[in-house]
Amino acid sequence: MSKPRLPKLTHLQFLVLGLLRDGEQPGRQLRETLAAHGVRRTAPAFYQLMARLERDGLVEGRYEQITTGGQAVTERRYTLRARGREMWDQARDFYVAAAATGDVRWSDA
Amino acid sequence: MRSTRLARVLAALLPPRARRDLFEPALCDLDAQRHGRRANAARLILLFLDCWRVAPAEILSMFLKDLRHAFRLLRRDALFTATVVLTLTLGVGANVAVFALVNAVLLRPLPYPDADRLAVVEHRSRQTGFTKPFIAIGDHIDLRARQTVFEAFAGYGHGPIVVHGDEDIWEGEALTATEELFTVLRAEPFAGRVFDAADMHPNAARVAMLGYEFWQRHFGGDLSVIGRAVPLGMGRLPHQVVGIAPPHFRFPPTTTSDVIVPLRLPPAAPAARTSGWTFVVGRLAEGVTPEQAGAQMAALSQQMEQEHPEQNQGSEYYVKPLRDALVGDTRPALLQMLGAVGVVLLIACVNVANLLAARSIGRRREMAVRVALGAGRRQILMQLVAESIALGVVSGIAALAFAYWTVPALVSQVPASLNLNANQSIAFDGTVLGFAALVSFGTALAFGLFSGLGLRRDIAAATLTSSRGTTSSTARRASSALVVAEIALAIVLLASAGLVLRSFASLLAIDPGFRADGVLTASVAASPQRYPDEASRAVFQRQVFDAIRALPGVEAVGSAAVTPLTGNTWSAPLDRVDRPSPQGQRPPEVGWQAATAGYFSALRIPLLEGRLFDDARDTPGSAPVVIVSAAVRDRHFDGASPIGKRVRVGDSEAEVVGVVGNIRRSTITDQPWADLYFPQSQSPSLSMGLFVRTASDPATLAGPLLAAIRGVDPQVLVRRVEPFERTVRESTQVTRLALWLLGVFAATALALAAVGIYGVMSYSVRQRTRELGTRVALGATPLNILGMVMTQGLRLTIAGAVIGLVGAAIAGRALASLLFDTQPAEPFVLVGAALVLALTAMAACYLPARRAARVDPARTLTLPG
Repeated sequence: MSKPRLPKLTHLQFLVLGLLRDGEQPGRQLRETLAAHGVRRTAPAFYQLMARLERDGLVEGRYEQITTGGQAVTERRYTLRARGREMWDQARDFYVAAAATGDVRWSDA
Repeated sequence: MRSTRLARVLAALLPPRARRDLFEPALCDLDAQRHGRRANAARLILLFLDCWRVAPAEILSMFLKDLRHAFRLLRRDALFTATVVLTLTLGVGANVAVFALVNAVLLRPLPYPDADRLAVVEHRSRQTGFTKPFIAIGDHIDLRARQTVFEAFAGYGHGPIVVHGDEDIWEGEALTATEELFTVLRAEPFAGRVFDAADMHPNAARVAMLGYEFWQRHFGGDLSVIGRAVPLGMGRLPHQVVGIAPPHFRFPPTTTSDVIVPLRLPPAAPAARTSGWTFVVGRLAEGVTPEQAGAQMAALSQQMEQEHPEQNQGSEYYVKPLRDALVGDTRPALLQMLGAVGVVLLIACVNVANLLAARSIGRRREMAVRVALGAGRRQILMQLVAESIALGVVSGIAALAFAYWTVPALVSQVPASLNLNANQSIAFDGTVLGFAALVSFGTALAFGLFSGLGLRRDIAAATLTSSRGTTSSTARRASSALVVAEIALAIVLLASAGLVLRSFASLLAIDPGFRADGVLTASVAASPQRYPDEASRAVFQRQVFDAIRALPGVEAVGSAAVTPLTGNTWSAPLDRVDRPSPQGQRPPEVGWQAATAGYFSALRIPLLEGRLFDDARDTPGSAPVVIVSAAVRDRHFDGASPIGKRVRVGDSEAEVVGVVGNIRRSTITDQPWADLYFPQSQSPSLSMGLFVRTASDPATLAGPLLAAIRGVDPQVLVRRVEPFERTVRESTQVTRLALWLLGVFAATALALAAVGIYGVMSYSVRQRTRELGTRVALGATPLNILGMVMTQGLRLTIAGAVIGLVGAAIAGRALASLLFDTQPAEPFVLVGAALVLALTAMAACYLPARRAARVDPARTLTLPG
């Protein structure tokens, strides 16, 4: 039997991708949700995380103009890509399997 | 993103990726949070700073990518890379090698705490200008009591010693020191104690300290040696060991201190103030400069001069930082060499600049494509910086290897008095590595940015549509200007090398007044127990001479107290008995030497009048006699024969029996002194400096000589057996060092200049192929084309030569302290340097010119573009 593989996603990445599974979201909102989970990041640190996810092809970002308070502003919005979804699923499976079997032996190969 | 001016400015100050990935989306959030109201300056600045906090990881990852790309590019363009790396290796490597030497000799701290405050006191005679590194004991005692500028003031001396073990005899170096020396040097004993005031009393028990390394080597690190009596010296006098010096302790720092014994001075200045000498070193009081200390020494010298006019008239004491005293005339030579090697680096830089400029022109299309694909200026600049750093890394490593292999050759040219090998002082420590990194990266980076700036202009032109790779006239002019600069710099170095060569030739042409070739020297010391009186010492001396004379090939053997050209400045006041100096006036100083008749024969010092010493006639009991040099006759006897005249030296009188030729006694560049020679046969000494003339190679006589002396007395101490020519050679070593280095630098500069001019002319010919083809098609002969290209090269050479000659005249003045009997702007040398360079440049031009002359119009005119 092949050993379950350690997920390549960090906890934070797992969390962000999980939030994006429900559909496109602006970066500002993602940050607020993370903060609600107790994960506080400055805007540059958060967008560095998002830029790396983009670079790895897990999410896709784009700018969109919205209106707030009667003013037009631009915001960065993110969508989960297929590869991101696949990686998240793999990670989730791993955690589920790990939770189900106490004596699971991990492999990072 | 709503953009304010501040936001735009701050964004521009960020690396592109940080700007795009971090700053811009975060700024959008800021705007959205404030419902479209613009963020204030404080928030913007905080955001900007936060981006910089996060950015380094981004920048590093980008830069590593650029660096990998740069290495790939350099590997692809192997010829270019090899040329740049070789050029920078020569330039940077030579600089690192010379810097390593300068670091070891001039920069590295002396091995004592707060060593900048250590200074020596030396003596100068106002009448003769002679200087001595030691001072009279009487004056030392008075200076020590009266001075206030040193917090500690110590006397010391050093020389060879023998230490008698239970079964063995070990030779070593002894340091004699007053108790203050340990305070001056802030040295704490490894074990036991250092000397105290009681040890300095004339009647105190004999005590000694052992050097840590000597103690480890010969006593196995056994601490029980403290308290034991160890016999020292040829007299085997037992000395109680009171302490072990700390590890690596030595003084002076150019020697070793195996055994340390007290230097016992009389409690008060003796009446004969100038009998006995001591070296002096002191630690300057806090806040006192060497100049201030020197001023007080000068004032005290005057005071003592007034108190003791007969003995101190014309005597003055001065202060010199310890490092200056150790380094001597090597300091200006090394600094000048550092300047010269800097010029080599400049030439290498000019070559690299030319190569990079040529390459950047070739890469205009590549860069234009990158701009068209969205690369910003900063990205392109970063790529070029990455390429420069890649070049810097490779060149820096190669330069360090080059310097590592060059330094031993360099050290072999350094004056032996600095004792660099013995102390393993040359090391590639942090300072040298830092210097290497600074020079190689600085050079590569500067030229990366230089070519980047050139590219920016090219990118602006965005010559994507042009398929021709012709250079602009500005680029060609810049390239030509660089070659002119290179030629000028090469001429400066060539002329400098020429001046030092000329000076060296002048030094070699000096007649020192004696012949050093074929002479072997040795230093011999015998035991006072075995030879307690003058009679027994005279017998020992005669037996040694007879034994050596019996060796095959030996033509003459003699001995003397002072070896010429070792910087020795022993002198004595000379008074004529028939015409004494006026009352209260100190008689003039002349050189002092004690010798046997064989000394004059061995060194071929000619007898001009009278006779040489006669061992059978000039014995300890006979009337004192003296031989004078021709300078004594000319200066003190008005050129008349002094034979039979009596002279007074100190308290004794002697009759002049002979006049010999002048010799250069202290250094080869000194004017011949007026010298007095006293016969060693009238006061035989336990130590002799032997001079043996042989018909064969003196080096081959070393073994038989040693055996012959040991045959007379197996317990005798024989040291420094070496050909006298080595000593003579050492006296010109600073000039040799300068000549050797400048010669290497000049040859490197010449080669680099040739490569530079060849590169520029080849490139120019390649760029003008179509033009040359057209000329040939219109009727120009190959000879016309050859002449045209050669003229272009000649113009650059002449322009460089004119500038270079002005620079060489200025550099000559800077080299003045190294020059002997040579003018700083010697026309012969300047013209010679210009000619050598012009010929080299023309040879470098010829190959491209010949290629130009062979241009085939039928082919070149059908080339695309």
